[in-house]
Amino acid sequence: MMRRHLLHSACGVVLLSVLTASPGFAHEQTGVGGGLAAGLLHPLTGLDHLVAMVAVGIWGAQLGGAAIWVLPIVFPLVMALGAVVGILKIGLPVPELVIALSALVLGLAVALRVRAPFVLAAAVVAVFAIFHGHAHGAELPSAANPLAYGCGFVVATGLLHAFGITIGALARWPGGERVIQGVGAAIAALGGYFLVTSLGVAA
Amino acid sequence: MSLRLRTSLLTALLLLTQVQIADAHIVSARLGDFYAGALHPLLTLQDVVAWAALGLLAGSLGAASGRWLVAVFPLGLCLGLALAVAAGLAPTPPIVDAATILVIGLLLAAALRIPVALLCMLAFVLGVMRGVANAGELVPQTDRVLYAAGLASAGYVAITLIMALVLAFRRPETEPASSWRGIAVRAIGGWLAAIGLMMAGLSLAT
Repeated sequence: MMRRHLLHSACGVVLLSVLTASPGFAHEQTGVGGGLAAGLLHPLTGLDHLVAMVAVGIWGAQLGGAAIWVLPIVFPLVMALGAVVGILKIGLPVPELVIALSALVLGLAVALRVRAPFVLAAAVVAVFAIFHGHAHGAELPSAANPLAYGCGFVVATGLLHAFGITIGALARWPGGERVIQGVGAAIAALGGYFLVTSLGVAA
Repeated sequence: MSLRLRTSLLTALLLLTQVQIADAHIVSARLGDFYAGALHPLLTLQDVVAWAALGLLAGSLGAASGRWLVAVFPLGLCLGLALAVAAGLAPTPPIVDAATILVIGLLLAAALRIPVALLCMLAFVLGVMRGVANAGELVPQTDRVLYAAGLASAGYVAITLIMALVLAFRRPETEPASSWRGIAVRAIGGWLAAIGLMMAGLSLAT
């Protein structure tokens, strides 16, 4: 009994020590950790970015064929082009409006199961990718560690696509297509809300 | 409670209350110049990204092509370090580092079957570049031979492990690059190319 009490106390002390331990600042880890966290969180904390990236993944899965594998390979590159434009402080017209529009258009494409030709779909996604990349890239020079920030946001975006592709795989099960279309409709509704908000701000 | 147990608990508690901030810069931890050379690149994101990219590319090309890098890359690292120490060779500008990551990422994303000689040349040049960059941490008290041995060992271990990981993941090697495993590796190539492109843009902006 006594031993059990001691064990519990020791576990408590260990847990407390671990929870209150100071962070390790190992070789610029403050900068790297900070940059990586900022990069990972940037696409996740902006709901307009998040839903649009998930929609890109779902639409790619719906289109199937080349779209499902070209998307994860080429999209980051196109987005990086947009990021470079942002880094170089070259302005794009109405960026917030286009990002909101991307969620609306991609959400509708998923909800309505739009079977666009591959080239057209790729062109639409590429234009939106440039604007999303621009928004992320504009933050890059001021990040704690720009390289870590870049790694973070590229990985986060890729994982959001993967999440979208996984949702798209629900179509294999009965009723799955309805769920996907429902998700698409929700994304489109959010996109519409963002669009109205952007227009309200712009007005 | 026995005396021994009580003493052990008190000691443990005392040790836990003495927790210090991790000081993982191995030079100041005085764990030896070999470990300094081995750990410095592994704690530098620029090295981690570039080495991982090279390992992924070599692994995606198969064991027959990739195994040359086990020797070529560490040799490049040692030569770079030696050139920096003996000839005062300066590290390459950031745009060259970024362009290297971009090129390796593009080669990986495109699943190009580049010749072994080109892969070896790429690995050697990258090794020299990173060897020079890692020489920046040398201080007059550092044992250069130990530091170089540590750096070369880290290069050998990192490249071998990453290649092995990719080979195990892509197995069988005869599987087409359009299989989901191939696509996953190529997608990482796309990510790496994107990172390289952004870093190139940043170096142009600053």
